Amino acid sequence: MAKVAREMVEKAGVNVDELLELLVSNAAAELTTFYYYTILRVNLIGLEGEGVKSIAEDARIEDRNHFEALVPRIYELGGKLPDDMKQFHDISACPPANLPKDPSDTKALLKVLLDAERCAVRGYTNICNITAGKDHRTYELALAILHEEIEHEAWFSEFLGEGPSGHFGRRTPGESPFVSKFLHP
Amino acid sequence: MRTFTREELRKYTGGDGGPVYFAYRGKVYDASESWHWRGGKHQVLHAAGEDLTESLGAAPHGEDLLARLPVIGALVD
Repeated sequence: MAKVAREMVEKAGVNVDELLELLVSNAAAELTTFYYYTILRVNLIGLEGEGVKSIAEDARIEDRNHFEALVPRIYELGGKLPDDMKQFHDISACPPANLPKDPSDTKALLKVLLDAERCAVRGYTNICNITAGKDHRTYELALAILHEEIEHEAWFSEFLGEGPSGHFGRRTPGESPFVSKFLHP
Repeated sequence: MRTFTREELRKYTGGDGGPVYFAYRGKVYDASESWHWRGGKHQVLHAAGEDLTESLGAAPHGEDLLARLPVIGALVD
């Protein structure tokens, strides 16, 4: 734990134990999403599925990156990941992104992906709101993740006919243009 | 429609697997089946059995999401 780093956040008026619960539950959401997106991704087949594969893959890898980026901050603030991975799964901040009943229904798959990203956007907006001006390091991290979750939401919503996302493709799969600075090579 | 006082509403916190209710703008919502209210808590910060009217202002979502939950009563003073 980074003792003084935690003290500074407490001194600024943040309930660090509550913040840690939020960070751990959102870390759980990221890792479980990585798992469920793997299943969704392999089911994006055929002509319709082909067009969605690369954004599903980028979102999948970037959500795993988000988990990796969150872990150090959890421990810095004196928190920890649950010892039991099944327990970790069940405290996820977002519902499981389960494969729809008809896996060949690409629109249904996209809806699952979109709902997962929207849950994440709300979750990190909440963390940013709590930490802004008070916990600079967590705020920077949550904001970086939020940038990418918003892009993920925009990609999937575009495919569902909600208008242009305005984004260009990643240069490399799972590039994490905002979160990559928090990852250690 | 059933009415709840604030004291009655406090019984429905989801404890021991019981019902999960909360109030918003005078209506009482049943969140027992909602994934987002497992164990009677929502996103760590909000507990069932309470009037959450003021809390929603600071939430990262609007009241439109409440439309997903059944209204089972009214909150009375």
